[in-house]
Amino acid sequence: MLPPRSAFGAGLGFRRELLDELSHGVPAAINFFELAPENWAGIGGRSARQLRAFSERHPFVCHGLSLSLGGPDPLDRELLLRIRDFMREHGMTLYTEHLAWTSADGQLYDLLPVPMTGDAVRWTAARIRQTQDLLGMQIGIENASYYVVPPGAEMSETEFISAIIAEADCLLHLDVNNVYVNSCNHGFDPLAFIDALPLERTCYLHVAGHYTEPDGLIIDTHGSAVIDPVWQLLARTYERIGGTVPTCLERDFNIPDLAALTVEVEQIARLQAAAPAALRKVA
Amino acid sequence: MPGLYPDFQRFQRAFARHARAPWQTPRPAGVEARAMGVYNELLFNNLRSFLDACFPVCRELLGEGRWTRLCRTFYRDWPQRTPWFREIPRNFVSYLQEGEIRQPLPAWLGDLAHYEWVELAVDTDPATVPLPAPSPVAPLLSAPLRLNPTLRKLAYAWPVQAISRDYRPRKPRTTHLLVYRDAADQVQFVETNALTSRLLELLASSQESSEQSLRQLAAESGYASPEQFVHFGAELLQQLQQQGVILGVRSA
Repeated sequence: MLPPRSAFGAGLGFRRELLDELSHGVPAAINFFELAPENWAGIGGRSARQLRAFSERHPFVCHGLSLSLGGPDPLDRELLLRIRDFMREHGMTLYTEHLAWTSADGQLYDLLPVPMTGDAVRWTAARIRQTQDLLGMQIGIENASYYVVPPGAEMSETEFISAIIAEADCLLHLDVNNVYVNSCNHGFDPLAFIDALPLERTCYLHVAGHYTEPDGLIIDTHGSAVIDPVWQLLARTYERIGGTVPTCLERDFNIPDLAALTVEVEQIARLQAAAPAALRKVA
Repeated sequence: MPGLYPDFQRFQRAFARHARAPWQTPRPAGVEARAMGVYNELLFNNLRSFLDACFPVCRELLGEGRWTRLCRTFYRDWPQRTPWFREIPRNFVSYLQEGEIRQPLPAWLGDLAHYEWVELAVDTDPATVPLPAPSPVAPLLSAPLRLNPTLRKLAYAWPVQAISRDYRPRKPRTTHLLVYRDAADQVQFVETNALTSRLLELLASSQESSEQSLRQLAAESGYASPEQFVHFGAELLQQLQQQGVILGVRSA
């Protein structure tokens, strides 16, 4: 068990593809790493040893993929217990998951949008509460990207997110790239969207790159560099919440060398430094 | 069954049914074809990426078309309960062994897939492999032995490690393999025989000295001279220790 350590500043998604380079030295700009427990918890051998070598020296954030908070299948308590032990083992203090569903009569292994209804608010908030009780801590929920607005919506997305956060008494993990991707695909003002969220609850931020299909549809691949409009949106976000919220660069495909990723992490740090100090305290 | 679930969950279940079988099920109401197509592709490609990474030989030998079809029916027909991505390949192996698959497949495919999967399983096995303590032959014989906690003793009906693009066996040939992770965290494959496999089974469960296990094995296999059997067995134990299969004597 490692002593608890909180993430701060700018961080990078922890991936096996980067381990060789990282083992020669972690660039100073990288203050923390983020990983998916579904990829790393409960394993042994080389991967476990490598992870341990990094978690002994750097804070890690636990960012889940499979919990299916908005899904109809029973909440996976066994998964959560394993995540709880894994976080203790590595001294992690923050767990975030997506406001999405990934399973219905079995896993689908990807993040899907929850119909924005009152029933779904109550259902999802109850599951977040159960999760928080089991982990003994507040969790952050992330606004997800989506390519279809599920039918039957009774409220806007920001109302949906806000209602769940209020009812679950949880934190907001704001993915700035997802806001941008959705604003393009579904035609809304990204900044107005961000302003309508309970920003005082923000515990964590994501930025990432994406891919634009020939017909203009943007797919949230995390497979390319962050584009300028997303950097600008991140800067506007810091103006609202201050520059102290830890922010992670996600990169999951077409992974470039560490130097290229470090340039982007340094960009996060520059924007954080340029922002006013904490404006709103996390609840 | 309206009323049993709230509307939003009926949508989710209809969506999931369609994503698993896009050609056999109706698109969920209220979802455009283009958007559903994006999801169908994303979801299936994501699942496939785990299978492609774990089963390169199966994929190559089946060819892209048959492999894709097999991955499709796996996604459609086999329950995907695990939240752990590394368990998707294990689930696929179970599907090949137990699923009702209409597509004609080579008889050895299930064994080959298991053989490809076991490398991942042993590589990430949560057990810790300590450095083996070197010890002379006599103590090995006089005590119960500690085996490598990641050891898997496998018996395949087919010569799985020889199967390749240039060798697709027509007749089964039983193949015994020891697969384990060594102290340097490398996965090792050692071809062995039924007798050694059985010996390791006895060693793993026995509270007695390894000599007792050798004597039991000599009796089981009708060996005329147990003394000689123990003598050769001692050499085998030493060799298994050098390989990292046996870690040393078990402390009381």
